[in-house]
Formats: sequence, structure tokens, C-alpha cells
Amino acid sequence: MKKILIKGGTLVFPQKGVFQDVDILLESGLITRIGKGIEDSRAHLINASNLLVGPGFINIHVHLREPGRETEENLLTGSRAAARGGFTSVVSMPNTHPPIDNPILVRYLLLRAKEIGLVNIFPVGAITVGLEGKEMAEYGLLKEAGVIALSDDGRGVQDARLLYLAFQYAQYFNLPFILHEEDENLSRDGEISEGKVATLSGKRAIPRVAEESLMARDLVLAYRTGARVHFTHLSTSLEVELLRWFQEKMPVSADVTPHHLLLIEDDVLGLGTEAKVKPPLRSLEDQKALKEGIKEGVISILASDHAPHPSEDKSRSFSEAPFGISNLEITVPLYAKALIEEGIINWVELWEKLSYNPALFLGLDNKGILEEGRDADITIVDPGTRKRVEVSNFESQGKNCPFENWSLPGWPVYTIVDGRIVMAEGSIVESEFC
Amino acid sequence: MKWKHKDLLGINLLSKEEIEYLLERGKYFREFLDCSPKKMKYGEGYCLVNFFLEPSTRTRVSFETAGRLLGMEVVNFTSEASSFQKGESLEDTAKTLSRMKFDVLVVRHHQSGVAEYLAQLLPLHVINAGDGMREHPTQALLDLLTLQRKFGYFQGLKVAIVGDILHSRVARSLTLGLKKLGAEVFFSGPPTLLPLAMEHLGAKIIFPVEEAVKGVDVIYLLRIQKERQEAGYFPSIREYAHFFGLKEKWLDRENSRPLIMHPGPVNRGVEIGYSFTEEDFSLIEEQVTCGVAVRMATLETLLQGEEQ
Repeated sequence: MKKILIKGGTLVFPQKGVFQDVDILLESGLITRIGKGIEDSRAHLINASNLLVGPGFINIHVHLREPGRETEENLLTGSRAAARGGFTSVVSMPNTHPPIDNPILVRYLLLRAKEIGLVNIFPVGAITVGLEGKEMAEYGLLKEAGVIALSDDGRGVQDARLLYLAFQYAQYFNLPFILHEEDENLSRDGEISEGKVATLSGKRAIPRVAEESLMARDLVLAYRTGARVHFTHLSTSLEVELLRWFQEKMPVSADVTPHHLLLIEDDVLGLGTEAKVKPPLRSLEDQKALKEGIKEGVISILASDHAPHPSEDKSRSFSEAPFGISNLEITVPLYAKALIEEGIINWVELWEKLSYNPALFLGLDNKGILEEGRDADITIVDPGTRKRVEVSNFESQGKNCPFENWSLPGWPVYTIVDGRIVMAEGSIVESEFC
Repeated sequence: MKWKHKDLLGINLLSKEEIEYLLERGKYFREFLDCSPKKMKYGEGYCLVNFFLEPSTRTRVSFETAGRLLGMEVVNFTSEASSFQKGESLEDTAKTLSRMKFDVLVVRHHQSGVAEYLAQLLPLHVINAGDGMREHPTQALLDLLTLQRKFGYFQGLKVAIVGDILHSRVARSLTLGLKKLGAEVFFSGPPTLLPLAMEHLGAKIIFPVEEAVKGVDVIYLLRIQKERQEAGYFPSIREYAHFFGLKEKWLDRENSRPLIMHPGPVNRGVEIGYSFTEEDFSLIEEQVTCGVAVRMATLETLLQGEEQ
């Protein structure tokens, strides 16, 4: 494997919270040297002046739709979108057809991922068989096959006793939970957030309590059982408060999506089904609370909830269209706009939430850190240049994206996975480079 | 020894000396069982009723054998086709049996505490053959006798009990007995079936099983009931077998290979795989024979107490 030398850039060390203008050498899939003035004539050189170089971004929440809906997204198109988005690792949710609830499917996914070889794909196993919320899946066998966490994402686990037992049982195998919180008796057939827009448009409302009450229950279950849980896609201010309160008592984390930081319920009026998402876009006050939670560090991980859907489905009537937004290749610029341009956090903090913290939560010891001997998963970002979003150019098959034509800063320009350049200057590097 | 208990309700109620006495008598009867013909006259004229309200073959047959070998009359009462089906209460049925002047009533019931309830209610000797999730004292005694015959000591003996501790009266009684005799007990299994409160029995909980069985003298595997899966405690039998069933690597300890015990009947391929040829490291068959012996010892001891 060819060596890669990245010179002239600003290295981002999220584990230490610092930037340093030094060079970095990658070799045989590892970071082999970090220092000033590294020279190596045999290495492939990347000139990183005016660029930020940090540990590869890890996306804790994406939907790759394989198996079952490969025409909507699959491991190949999803990997390409991830590479373009600056993600060296993605965590894929199990709500596929069939769902990832048994070890054979996990092995299949990992074989396919290896075959494709663009980014690291870490499958999540189902909490319940068939995501039906009735019986526990085989966590031990799933873990042996390679799942990294458990989730019924797309649905909340309605049965408290089942989750109580699952929280206990999964600890034997050291598996953490990524929880989608939604009490289906409360969300029912709701379409958008309760509030002004639902009232005026007559759309069916999803109350905040649908998420909040289940989150509160599960915080208590986790506290009493000692399970390691992570709440994905927070959307309300009370959720942030609940999290803050429980973080005094136990390790618990949460993430947001970029769209909940950039859009609010009012945007549904202009954007239509492209802004139909679960949890629904909430009010400006909720959005402020999420940003405050990020600033404080209460929300420690930034995710995508990349949910590709075919245009045919999104062009149905509002009530019939599916929930979800495709955003994998613009997640980082979206966060740069929502958080860095607004002065809420800086790049090193962004890197912490997009790389170091997810690696820590997932137990990926050799990722998320720039240090000699760690994995050569690197993302290089151009913080200065702005570019327009062109959804039609997405690598992802999901063109369901409300950010068409937005001008965004902070685009990833190189994605290096396991010491191999998989994306350069916005394009996928098709074969073994050089 | 002057025996002061009318009944045998649980290991919890026995002193170390009383357990040792029962084991000493058990040892005597265990040796007697190797002789033929084996018939004693000690229990002649006494009458035993097996009052089993939960399915059981092993324990019932073991009590029946023990009673008959001592020369007792033995009657079996089973809940199928009985007055229970006609709606008679436990209290009335038990009182009726008592009025038939049985001397010993051996009871098994799915509710914890039934043996104690009947013992207070009735003048005859009550032996608990398993009450709910509480105790199964003769099972513990037979396990202890098996261990004593094999090792000759309890002080410092290390026993790991693996499986469904939560619902197991066998684990409760055995742990209480082992602790009274100075052994060390470790619990492991699926965390859903091993809540932290189980440490109140005096054992130490260790996860995973591989850690719990390190350096122990005996691995005691509990029978897993299919109903526990249906009740959501673990996802599947194949997963249970894969992680909580006996593994060759649990046994490969230099020099001291741990011995295996199981209360029976073994779920083949679950707690113990088909691949294990057991003769050299299993005490399971010996447990069965010791079962008859300790039940003879129990019957003798309770009846003897009556004479005093």
C-alpha cells in the first residue's frame, strides 16, 4: 500500500481540543508519523495548505436501505455518498427488508462492505425481532457476527418490560443502544409537529410528548439497569433538559440531525414533502435549545439520519409521502453553516462531535484520534470555500433533500479510509489510486 | 443427634451440624444402595404420600423409591384427575390427606411457601420437594452428598452455578447449603436471569461465564426452561446454548479440570452439548443415586425425631 504524506495543513486533534500546523504520514493503513517538516519522496503528496486535516468523520446514523430496497440506496451508492460527505465510517440502521435481526444478514452486509471497500460500514442490529417490538433479537450472535450497537430506529420500543430486559441482557455482550424515541400511541398518524403550522394547515400533529415521554422512560430504565444508551435525533427543548439532568447521574449521550438545526416547522409550508421528517421539524425555541445543548456539550454527537427515498414516493401527497431527508454528502457543510458560521462551536469542537465522540461511544479505539499508530482514516475539509448544493449531483440515490441550492461552507475535499484515498476534490476515486 | 424439626422445609432452616448429620446418614444409605438385595424394615408401618402438584418424575420416583426401600407404604397423589379439577382448595385436599393418617407428606407446588403453609396446618411430617422459586432442600442435600463423596471437604470448595438463577429453587437451596458448609459460590448466566439481588444468597455474581468458571472445582449447570424464552428473558435457545451452554474451553484448565453437575433432566444440546462424552468429568449420574440416599436419610431422620 502506497504511503500518503499530507503537508502544509492544519491538523485537528479533537481528543486534545487543539489545532496544530504539522504534517502527517500514513502508511499501511496506519498513521505512522505526525510532525513538522516530514519529507518522504516515495509517498503520495497531498498539499493541504488552508485545509483542515483531522480524524475521519463517523456518522452514527444513516440508512443504506440494503437489503431489500437497493434501488433506493444500497451499500455502494451509500458508501459513495459517505465518502463524498467526508465520512470514513458510517453506522447503518437495521430497518431494512428484512431487518438486520439475525447474524446471517450482518455477515452479508459486512462481506458486501468489504467488497465495495470505500468506507467502513458498521451495521447496527435490531433490538427486537423484525423491529416488531415483541421479542428480543439474538444480541450475542449479532455481536459475534459484527454489529456495533442495537437500535429499532424508525420505531420506538413500545413495551417497557421488553426494553428493560433488553437493557439488562445486552450488557452481557457490551452492546450499546441507539434509541429512536416515539410513543406510537401519541404520535399515531401525525405528519408534522404540533404547533402553529399544524394548526393553520390542518395537518395531523405529532406532539412533543411522543418523543419526550418515551425518552424519559428509557432514561429511567437505563439508569436502573446500567445500560449504555444514546438518543438519536433529538428535536425538542425538553429532551435536552432531560438529557442534561440525567448526565449528572450516568453516562448518556445524544445526537441531532443537521435539518433540525437549519429548518423549523414553518419551512414545511415552502418545502412540502422534502421537509417531512421524523421527528418532525419543531419550533425556533426547540432549535435554539438544541444549539445550546450542542454548545454546552450536552449533545455530544452530530449525525445525519440520512434517509433516502425515491422521488416517486416523495412526490405523493403530503400525507402519503414517506418521512426522511437525504443529506449524507452535505452533512458536514450543513453543520458548518448551522454551528460554525453562527459561532456556536469551532472546527475542533465540530470534529470532536463528528469523530472523536462517536468513536468513543461505539468503542472504536483506533478511530477518532490523530495519533501515531491509530487507523489512517482521515478527512480533509476546506473551511473557506462556499459551494452550492446540487441535489441532482448527489452520489446518493436519494434526491429527497430540502437544501437544494443552499450555499454552504466547509466541504470535505479528501476522504482517506484505511490509508487509501477514496474521495479527492469532491470526486470518488474509482480504483486503487495511483 | 437429637432432631428437632418436624418437617424438612428448606436448607435455610438447618444448622451446619444438621446438614452434616443428614449427609452422614446419606452417606450410609448411599453405600447401602450399592448392595443387593436392598430392603430395610426401618420404615415399616409408616405411610408416605407424594403430593405433587407440579409435573415431576425424577423427584417423585426418587421419594417413592426411598420410602419403599425403607419399608414404608407409598401413595402417589397427582393433580391430574384429582379433586383439584373439581375445584377443591389446597387446604381441603391437604387436610383430607392428613385425615387419612399419612405419616409423611412430600409436597411439590408452584407457589413459594406452600410447604411451610402445609407444615403449619397439618400434624404430619412435611417434606418440601420444591416450592415455587424458594427451596428444594433434598436436591441440595443430594448435591452436597455428591460433592462430599467426590471431594471429601467443603471448606474453600469453589462452585460456579450457571443459568437461570432467578427462577431456581435448586440454586437457592444449594447456595445456602454450600455457604453454611464453607464453600465459595459464584453465579453467572444471562443478566436477565441473574439480578444483582441474587447476591443476598451469599454468592458472587461474575460476568461473563468464562470468568465465573475460572479456577472452580465444580460447574453446576441449571436446566433452562423453554418458558423463560417465551417470557422474554433471553432471545433463543440457540443463543442460550451458544453462550451459556457448557464449552470445552471452560473445562480446559491445567491440572484441575472442573467437574460438571446438573439437577436433571439435561436439555441435550442446550446446557450440555451432544459432543461431550461425560463419564470422566460428570457427576450427574451420581447425583441421581445420591438423591435416593438423602431422601432415605431425610425420612429416617424425621421419623426418628418422632420416636424421641
